[in-house]
Amino acid sequence: MKIKRRATRADVPSMAMGDIAFNLLIFFVILARAQDDSHLQWTPAEATNIETAGHSVVSVLIDSDEKLYLNGQPIGEASLESKIDELLRDFAVGDRTVLLKVHREATALRFEPVIEAISNAGGELVHVVEEDRDE
Amino acid sequence: MKIRRRSSNLLIEPPSSATGDIAFNLIVFFLVCASVQPDSGRHQTLPRSEETEQKEEKDKNIEVVVKRQVALVNGDPVQPGQFQDRLAALLAGKPRPEDKVVVVKSDDDVPYHFWMTVTSQIEDAGGIITLQIEEEREVQVP
Repeated sequence: MKIKRRATRADVPSMAMGDIAFNLLIFFVILARAQDDSHLQWTPAEATNIETAGHSVVSVLIDSDEKLYLNGQPIGEASLESKIDELLRDFAVGDRTVLLKVHREATALRFEPVIEAISNAGGELVHVVEEDRDE
Repeated sequence: MKIRRRSSNLLIEPPSSATGDIAFNLIVFFLVCASVQPDSGRHQTLPRSEETEQKEEKDKNIEVVVKRQVALVNGDPVQPGQFQDRLAALLAGKPRPEDKVVVVKSDDDVPYHFWMTVTSQIEDAGGIITLQIEEEREVQVP
């Protein structure tokens, strides 16, 4: 006598689809953010009349050890200008924003050549600072 | 005659096993939201650098020398509180943009926060910043 095997159906619960999609979305957002410079140590300076920097593809950072980074990756001062120029090549005037994040105690010897390089590469400089609330 | 409505037990409670998941997702969501906040800062327009020999242009443009703790306007030390007013007064009689150029020369040890304070005040006073950076050159003597 043949005994029929019972067919058991195992469906993925459709209830969980929303949760899975949401978690995937967050995962990729975090992954995208991991490529930026948020892991670097620096303290912003203060200034008045600050405004939202807007969208930028280039971010230059001088950290508390006075090390230089371009979009989160270490870079030498000599190659900074050409790299920024390369990154901004396809962008029109008005969209060439370069965010400059400098540790508040960094010295002019370090940050002035960086400002010069950004300026020479045609970048529109935005100093990332905090609002000075003492004024 | 009054007929009583039958109370049906249709109230469905959300499964309590999912509460942990919901809380976790909410935490992650707000963490991501907080980290994606846009940067804010101060725009600064600087002209591209030119290699120029030292010329006698001091009488034309205002020169600001930034030291570690003090700024000098045309050679005179100015208190931080009076700096912007002093510059505004000097720039008042200069309507042309090329006359509003303020040459900024900084010592090597000037901290960024002080440099930002000085340059912000120059811009707020109506000046156009130009950095004067000394270039080091190696000359080989035969």
